[in-house]
Amino acid sequence: MSETEGVAPENDGITEAEGETVGEAKWVALRELERRFPGLDKASVQFTVLSEGERGLLGVGQVPARVIARVSEPPPAAPPASEEPGTSAAKLRELLERVCAALGAPCRIAITEDEEAIHASLSGPDLGLVIGKRGHTIDAVQYLANAVLWRGSDEGRKEVVVDAAGYRERRREALEGLAERAASDAVQAQRPVALEPMTAVERKIVHVHLAERQDVVTSSDGTEPNRRVVVSPAPSE
Amino acid sequence: MEELLEYLARNLVDKPDEVRVERTERDGAVVLRLHVAEDDIGKVIGRQGRIARALRTLVRASGGHQHERALLEIVDAR
Repeated sequence: MSETEGVAPENDGITEAEGETVGEAKWVALRELERRFPGLDKASVQFTVLSEGERGLLGVGQVPARVIARVSEPPPAAPPASEEPGTSAAKLRELLERVCAALGAPCRIAITEDEEAIHASLSGPDLGLVIGKRGHTIDAVQYLANAVLWRGSDEGRKEVVVDAAGYRERRREALEGLAERAASDAVQAQRPVALEPMTAVERKIVHVHLAERQDVVTSSDGTEPNRRVVVSPAPSE
Repeated sequence: MEELLEYLARNLVDKPDEVRVERTERDGAVVLRLHVAEDDIGKVIGRQGRIARALRTLVRASGGHQHERALLEIVDAR
């Protein structure tokens, strides 16, 4: 591939490439790595952008975008599609593979199951589009996964939780921070404080977190999708 | 994105063979028209429209990936 200028030896997991856009340069680099490592897991490739590039005007001042692509150590994850075919986990994996393909986001999918829930966790280099603004896209994926897996039947029903790049844990921390601030405001002003609208799962995080505090009580108000948690000062005894 | 929409719809309805996705363009946007059996309309709309809203979110996101504005229209033949 003429665009690549590998300073490193050919069999190294690192390559440099250029293209008209960063996306194109990444694609060229990925193709080169795939040539060296057939069956390469795209999710294990990390990119460093050297130059964003300039489109230039009428071919003048055009600077190509340049990236370095590096194959990181493949994480010792469970082999893919280890689930029994036809199980909920296998069905969930198929759904998520299709979602990632449609969104152009290469990802690795890890699925674990316990008594109460099936957890799917996506990892990959570029999951922004899968998560979406304020998590709207991943929440939609999670909602549809629940609907598809338990279509018309509550038998053996477990909650399906879909996570990407640790988003849910970060969101949980943010929600707990929000909850604490709302509780302090409610106590200080001695009046109820309403939070922004949230999904049922997120509201539960707030309720559970604030249940530990003796100075506030929580309730939910409004109808979906605008249902929100209201934090009120605890009635004095 | 048609493939994903068709796959999801087929897995939500009772009559998957009657699911059809038609791609049209309107005012510079891609419009995916989802056809399902008459009895299945509720299945792709969901309680308080939540399934339809989630499908719309995914159609929009997959359009964004292709740098297209993509919309979902659920066709009610009645």
